[in-house]
Amino acid sequence: MDNGDAVARVLEAFREASERGVSSRGEFESLKGRFLGREKGLVPGLFGGLRDLPASERADFGARANAAKREIEDAIAAMAEEVSRRESEALARASSVDITLPGRRVRAGAFHPLTLVRRRVEEIFLRMGYSTADGPELENDFHNFEALNFPPEHPARDAQDTFFVDRPAKSPLLLRTHTSPVQVRAMRKHGAPLRILAPGRVYRKDEVDATHSPVFHQVEALVIDRGISMADLKGTVEVFLAELFGPNTHARFIPTFFPFVEPGADIHMTCVFCEGSGCAKCKRSGWIEIMGAGAVHPKVLAAADIDPEEFTGFAFGGGIDRFALLLYGFPDLRLLFEGDERFLSQYSARILGDRS
Amino acid sequence: MKFSLHWIEEFLDAPPGEDRSRALLDQAGLPVESVEPGKPGGTGPVFDVEITPNRPDAMSHRGLAREIAALSGTPLATPSRELAPPDASGEAVESLASVVIQVPRLCRRFGALLVRGVSAAAPAPERVRARLSAIGSHPISAPVDATNYALWSLGQPLHAFDFDTLRGGMLLVRKARRGETLVTLDGVERRLDAADVVVADAERAVSLAGVMGGLETAVTAATRNVLLEGAWWDPVSIRKTARRHGMHTDASHRFERGADVAAIPEALHLATHLILESAGGTLAPGLLDVRGLPFRIRKTSLRLSRLRLLAGDPRLTLDFAADALARLGFSVERRPRRVMVEIPLGRHDIRLEDDLVEEVLRVYGYDRLPSRLPPTTIPGRHLEPRRLVEEGLTDAAVGAGLYETVGYPFVNPAEEEPYEPWIRTSGGSDSLRIANPLDETRRCLRRTLIPELLDAAGGNARRGRREAALFEVGRAFGREDGDPEDPPSLESRRFGFVLSGEARAHWSETARSRPFDFYDAKGLVERLVEPWIAAEDLQWSAAAMPGFAEGACASVETVAGPLGIVGLVAAAERQRRSLPDASFAAEIWVDRIPTRPRDEAFATWSAFPPIEADLSFAHGPELTWRELREAIRAEGLAHLDALRVADRWEGPGVPDGRKKTTVRLTFRSGERTLSQEEVNGERDRLAAALKSRFGVEF
Repeated sequence: MDNGDAVARVLEAFREASERGVSSRGEFESLKGRFLGREKGLVPGLFGGLRDLPASERADFGARANAAKREIEDAIAAMAEEVSRRESEALARASSVDITLPGRRVRAGAFHPLTLVRRRVEEIFLRMGYSTADGPELENDFHNFEALNFPPEHPARDAQDTFFVDRPAKSPLLLRTHTSPVQVRAMRKHGAPLRILAPGRVYRKDEVDATHSPVFHQVEALVIDRGISMADLKGTVEVFLAELFGPNTHARFIPTFFPFVEPGADIHMTCVFCEGSGCAKCKRSGWIEIMGAGAVHPKVLAAADIDPEEFTGFAFGGGIDRFALLLYGFPDLRLLFEGDERFLSQYSARILGDRS
Repeated sequence: MKFSLHWIEEFLDAPPGEDRSRALLDQAGLPVESVEPGKPGGTGPVFDVEITPNRPDAMSHRGLAREIAALSGTPLATPSRELAPPDASGEAVESLASVVIQVPRLCRRFGALLVRGVSAAAPAPERVRARLSAIGSHPISAPVDATNYALWSLGQPLHAFDFDTLRGGMLLVRKARRGETLVTLDGVERRLDAADVVVADAERAVSLAGVMGGLETAVTAATRNVLLEGAWWDPVSIRKTARRHGMHTDASHRFERGADVAAIPEALHLATHLILESAGGTLAPGLLDVRGLPFRIRKTSLRLSRLRLLAGDPRLTLDFAADALARLGFSVERRPRRVMVEIPLGRHDIRLEDDLVEEVLRVYGYDRLPSRLPPTTIPGRHLEPRRLVEEGLTDAAVGAGLYETVGYPFVNPAEEEPYEPWIRTSGGSDSLRIANPLDETRRCLRRTLIPELLDAAGGNARRGRREAALFEVGRAFGREDGDPEDPPSLESRRFGFVLSGEARAHWSETARSRPFDFYDAKGLVERLVEPWIAAEDLQWSAAAMPGFAEGACASVETVAGPLGIVGLVAAAERQRRSLPDASFAAEIWVDRIPTRPRDEAFATWSAFPPIEADLSFAHGPELTWRELREAIRAEGLAHLDALRVADRWEGPGVPDGRKKTTVRLTFRSGERTLSQEEVNGERDRLAAALKSRFGVEF
């Protein structure tokens, strides 16, 4: 057997095989095994006969066999690369998706806008060291009026058209007309110093329309401590309004009358619609009425066994429904109470972000 | 309340103009809500001023002028000669008429003047009619307009009688008699109450005191002699009378809030001047001025320390305070560290030192006060821990895809009847009724949230929504153990939800949608209360009530008692609200959820692998999962770590009337890896036990 022919035959066989090509990794592996396999591969086989050759031919044969081996190894390496590339391409084709189709989302629920606003208000006050408190919606005359310095038969009671409950009691039962009875309960239970925030549902006998509802929500802040003044009230209100409505919100304080505060104040803030430049919503004044406030009346403190000479305090409060209306700009308060999915879904997966 | 700026300015020495007047009234706490611009050649701008009920003294043009003068530091004008007694002649009033007060506590002063020989048909002077028109008060006749003009000028309501209709020429201030009637100026016959105060003549009531005069004795075009009344009436008595008769007049509005007893003569003089000017006649000499109980001059003092403490402003001085109070009409006496003041009779709202602080600060201007944050001296916390439970439930429900709603608590009790058994189970009593409801058909307070949630879901269904998943956190009213003397004991906290229609579908699912089912609702209840109560601590039992479909309603309890109800809404309740068949409702009694969350301590786990073994068998329909589960647990299988139902099936492959259950048993040891053989042994032991106990077929 001509040893020179053996090298040529192997090369010939390899060129034939590689011309046919491989269509899968399996075919490639068998081709690679046929030529380079350690035990039965054709290329290692060439070197197996080397020892039997006469010394004169060994060097020449060895050189040609080595050249063939390099050629075949290089070609197989290139083929391996090609096979891998084709494989990953196929894999990518198999797992490709239309990424523009909608994802499978967990159902998104919705907090009621009143809850969103209430939580935001609570968060602002909790940061300032207030405690949250609440009380019953079904109250009595004592907590809703008497302890808050509303004398019987006083015209101030007219402003708070009250629903009375038909059940005899020493102090007539009613639906609370404001969150202020929570002040009374908290002061009587916890004494001074005290720093609370009382959000809650309140009731007034108002016919339902776009801006009135017999059920609405208030939030009230109360601070009682030594040395508390109207200046503390002003600072706290300014911080609160700027945190809730944005840093360019300013407050103005106008004297007014509430039986449970003295001095009393109405708080007006920069109109959110025109940012103070004057529009139809604010009657061209640039200001809108937003809350009531004042220094806690000494009779209210005394009714809760707190010495008004040692402790003074302030209280202020406003309507959460109105805050929501100003923040979200919906047109009609009734939307809050109708359970209409077209309204509620607008708050789906929403949080009330920080506006400062 | 409307006021003419020109009219106000009549009382001012140096009127500051429209803008400044408006700003000063705002600063005074008498905010101008709107301004009607004055018409050319007319009466000037008209202010609509908001006046709180404590300030009857400001409900007049002079009252507002006083505030503007005080805040601007300018003097009031010298009183017009129209406020001084007019010239009089002829027989003295005392010999023609008399006044007797029988209720001196309720009528502290009664003044009267008599103008004789008037032409009552004459109109009031043009300037008077123009001003009254400008503020929305219609001119009628000289005598009536004169009284209205005095009211709006000085704040003192007056009444004009046709003197010739008064029998016996006398007026008697007394309580109404039982069964007495009076036709008032508005033509309504009023049956008087024994507590009403009236002005009577010798025979009968002629005026409902302080509220409205009588028709028979009113001034008409034919009236020749006019008797003017100016009196002070007790606020509470006027308020009760006005309410009793459903009346509210300019007069009652002021008397209810407290009039100024000192203004009576001036008001009578002013009205008389106007009558004499336009309707002619002569004034009978003398003022009938009868007094009831005298007013005590009230005094109080203001310490500089208190002023600075409440204001939070150390720049305030005693000089400033004394000057401000004097300008507001207080008599002021300066002491070293305080001022002593006498309170004007018209200022019924001033009683305490802190009231004076407000007066001083009104003059100072609230806007000049500094602002600062109070120091924190106590930590914040949640004083009502159950609010955190409500918040947790809300978060979980929103996380589960539900929308939160807020409903009105006014119901027609018939709507709640189908849920009566649950209401009673959860401590509810009979409905509490509103004494004065807005809507007679919804006059009770709700005892459960379910009907309202169904209504809301029904509204969405009628608008074409295929699904509704809603919840509400709220209060229910009326509790069996409630005490009317302790209002909180009459309320309960509740959480309700409704799942109605189709569970939301995704495009990739083979079935386009599936309806909600009982297990969606039950699972949601379990999930909601999980932070406080483990699912295995919930005891479910079949329940039945008209509001839920038979066989698809369950109540849930904890060791503490009833916790909730869940079920398929009854057909009748669904149909009348257009709700889809798959409508489920539930309510949780929030007060029964412990406020402490479940144990938060770390629990370790086994490091060895678990082995699962399934067991499938057919059985009769009456065998419940709870029975099976308890029987399996009672078997005490070695190393059984978890047990759950993997499948429940009835239909092809299972004999008719039978169900097939697959139970998945998970075995795991804390000490070693278990062998398949020992797990199989335990499974086979269980299979034999179930076969002999329940006759199940494998």
